Amino acid sequence: MPNSPPANEPWKLLADMHPIAKVSVGQILGLVEAIDEVGGSADVATISQEVEMDIDRLGPIIDAAELLNFVKVAEGDLTITELSRKVLHANVRERKKIIRDIIDDVPIFKQVMEMAKVAGRPLSREEVLGTIAAQVGTHNADDLFDALVYWGRYTELVHYDSESEQLTILMPSQ
Amino acid sequence: MAVTRKQLRAAAAVLVLLAAVAAVLAPGAALNAGSLALLALYSTIRMALAFILSLVFAVAFGTAAATSKRAGEVLIPILDILQSVPILAFFPPALLFFYYSLGGSAVGEEFAVIFLIFTSMAWNMAFGVYEALTTLPGDLKEAASVFGVRDWLRFRRLFFPATIPKLVYNSMLSWTVGWFYLVASEAISSGSLNLERPGLGSFIFAAGQRGDVPAILLGIGALAVVVLLLDTFLWRPLSVWSERFRMEQTAGGPTTRTTAPYERLRWLPRFPRIRRWLSARLAPLAKGWNRAASPLDHYYVSHPKLVRTVRWVDLAMFLVILVSVVVTGVVGIAAILTSPMPALAGEIPAAIAASLGRLGLAYASALAWTIPVAAWVVQSPRASRFVTPFLEVVASIPATALFPLIIAFAVLAVGAFGLEAELSAYMVALFAMQWYLLFNLIAGMRSIPGDMREAAKVFGLRGRIYWKRVLLPAIMPSLLTGSITAWGAGWNALIVAEYISYAGHVYRVGAGIGYLIAYSTYTPGDQGRLLLLSVLALVVVVLAMNKLLWRPIIKRASTRFRIEIQ
Amino acid sequence: MTAGSLILEVKHVSKSYSENGKEFRVLEDVSFEIHDRDFICIVGPSGCGKSTLLREIVGLDLPTSGEIRFEGKPVQAENPRISMVFQSFALFPWLTVLENVELGLEAHKVPEEERRGKAKKYIDAVGLAGFENAYPRELSGGMKQRVGIARALVMDPTLLCMDEPFSALDALTAQNLRDEILQLWTNPDIPPSAVLMVTHSIDEAVYLADRIVAMSPRPGRIVKIESVDLPRPRNRKEPEFYGWVDEIYSLIV
Repeated sequence: MPNSPPANEPWKLLADMHPIAKVSVGQILGLVEAIDEVGGSADVATISQEVEMDIDRLGPIIDAAELLNFVKVAEGDLTITELSRKVLHANVRERKKIIRDIIDDVPIFKQVMEMAKVAGRPLSREEVLGTIAAQVGTHNADDLFDALVYWGRYTELVHYDSESEQLTILMPSQ
Repeated sequence: MAVTRKQLRAAAAVLVLLAAVAAVLAPGAALNAGSLALLALYSTIRMALAFILSLVFAVAFGTAAATSKRAGEVLIPILDILQSVPILAFFPPALLFFYYSLGGSAVGEEFAVIFLIFTSMAWNMAFGVYEALTTLPGDLKEAASVFGVRDWLRFRRLFFPATIPKLVYNSMLSWTVGWFYLVASEAISSGSLNLERPGLGSFIFAAGQRGDVPAILLGIGALAVVVLLLDTFLWRPLSVWSERFRMEQTAGGPTTRTTAPYERLRWLPRFPRIRRWLSARLAPLAKGWNRAASPLDHYYVSHPKLVRTVRWVDLAMFLVILVSVVVTGVVGIAAILTSPMPALAGEIPAAIAASLGRLGLAYASALAWTIPVAAWVVQSPRASRFVTPFLEVVASIPATALFPLIIAFAVLAVGAFGLEAELSAYMVALFAMQWYLLFNLIAGMRSIPGDMREAAKVFGLRGRIYWKRVLLPAIMPSLLTGSITAWGAGWNALIVAEYISYAGHVYRVGAGIGYLIAYSTYTPGDQGRLLLLSVLALVVVVLAMNKLLWRPIIKRASTRFRIEIQ
Repeated sequence: MTAGSLILEVKHVSKSYSENGKEFRVLEDVSFEIHDRDFICIVGPSGCGKSTLLREIVGLDLPTSGEIRFEGKPVQAENPRISMVFQSFALFPWLTVLENVELGLEAHKVPEEERRGKAKKYIDAVGLAGFENAYPRELSGGMKQRVGIARALVMDPTLLCMDEPFSALDALTAQNLRDEILQLWTNPDIPPSAVLMVTHSIDEAVYLADRIVAMSPRPGRIVKIESVDLPRPRNRKEPEFYGWVDEIYSLIV
């Protein structure tokens, strides 16, 4: 995988965003399970055959899994981490909490949350897109926004109304 | 590609400035403009009333035809025939009925006009509802059954939402058509009948009678402004909202085909703020509606016997009405046919032939210019940006409003040869037909899959081969849809165009079925038989064209090109 | 075998269609029973009538001969105690996730407060908390199916029927969802009492089911009903697993 981010700063890749934008939680967890089933470590080709998905489709999922620290990638071999073992055996709600703790630290999320606090009202899609585009350019802004909404909703940090295109940050109810 | 809101605001500011300057320079004209606004309001209200009637009819009729197979077998053929009858053929009987039965009062006239517009809208909206319901995905119906969603709730949550995209689409189409008939019907002055209802149509007509070209232009301008305002504040938000109800093609990869009426609005921005404001206002209404509907559901479920009895009574009433209409119609027609043929009846075949020829010529001319222009607009983004709004505005002017200008032009051009009536009839038909073709073609060409175009480039397909092998097959569905609609519009246009009075003169073509129909409507005396025969002849020709020409072509096109035609 | 109470009886059910004067036999003399705490998979080649059978059990279709009894009484459509999950998700595109899940409750006149609470509970249980106001087009395939599952479970059904629920999903999402279904199944707080699933994937059947009903090609007959006694969670890489798959495969071919 090109450009692996430094191990303790996975969120740097998030700023570039492409992988996680089109990948769902289910796919990431499915990948982790598939690796677990063959013993916890395998090379990409094997996994690709196991799940009957070609490398093009698998790539973004692997990137996203790596981002969230669920999978370690080294010389074409995928290994699941302690964290992902924990996630595999957690129930649906515990998984959310684990992922929420990771997402919470991502700069983009933090930035949008600041915006919302300062504004004191729901943000419109245009406003958030503008801020995002300033960081990553207009080309990727839409994808990043969708990812923000998706992961934000999943971790219950964000409320988005697609009809009125209003984004609200939910105060974390830990 | 859309015009931005900033640009629109700038344009609006310029217009307002111009208007202010004009008002200062010519106070008299400004006063006239004020009355124009009022007239515009009247016309719009008439349209709105007809539209609401059509909506109710379409939903009731379409749902009945779609939910019960037996009802469908009776109702759909009726709709088919009603749709084939050129709308202006409805006008004389409607006029006679409403006007005279209400003692020749203004109310009667209004009813007649509204009824006419209703007939121009209702049939295709009913078809839209019917089609939407019959193409409802089976798994949604099954899910509704499994979870116990039936009767009124089923209608609210499943059937009605499913019809919304087609309803909005057909509503926009209907309004465009409706303006045409509104303008034609607000003022009738032929023979013994002299009707005039205040509105933009009568304003333009009166100006035409006086030969007052500036006033004509003003009237046309006002009409264009009204259409633009409606497009911006009603249709564009509505069509964006209706996207929510669209069924997705399963498994991503949506090839969103922009169809003709939506093509019209592409250049307008999406106005999220307007939509937000509207939905904030309407949401409590929707909630209240839902809440009020629950006791109704409740009632339905707890009184099944009552519901069944009501249904039977409904059906019985409907059958009684249907049978009496059919019997009266048959008896009336028989009576008229058994009485001696009117003298002019012999002209009917020649009249049909002449009108067919006229329309054929107009159709060919329209094709000749719309195909290249559509190709050009689609290929050049700059052309799209600037030309589309312009074409938009011009197309929104109904051909009937342009009469006075067309006749004036025709008189100037060929008055010396005495051909002005022929030329103007041809031009009106052309104007009525060409926009349907143009916008459908643009939509069709836009939806040619990008990779097909690329493949053509890679293989060096150009010129005639490109047209023959790539372009033509790809646009066939749009071409057909556009052609069918265009011909329908053409027939209707001829009914008004083959017999026109302007500035005190009467212009009539040598032979034409439109002429015969108009003549028999407005000439005093017992013309009922001639009218009926002419209308029948026209209906027969239109139905024949449908069955013998359009249907087979559609069949051939959909198998050969394996594309779906709407 | 499981000594739970009898939930469903399928007795000598046959189904045939006539088209152009010819008669097509789709199902032939199918009989089996479902008890409390059964997880049953019907497997068979395509065209063997398994989806037809499922629809007859749910009440969407009628058998040509034979009968189906649910809790002792003949089957009716719209029975809230039998719920269904669809292969194509069958979500209403103009309703939010919450409104979709509530739909069955709304149809049964459950008051707003109560049905909202119940729907939210099940939306949370399938892992979709936070998406209540999203529309189906904003969701991925796996999420849509979760909505379908929540919608079915919120009715508190005794029998949950699933028609090839994972065949429209990619392999990773499908596997993830299968595991979550098993998690829900082992949770005593969550209905249903029994699950009946139709699938064309033998792997899937062996992975999930307690009992497998193997059907022949058309006209569909029951070849054999096997009880799979592997402990859960099952590992698809284990030789025992392969053994079962091979055996079922030989039965339906």
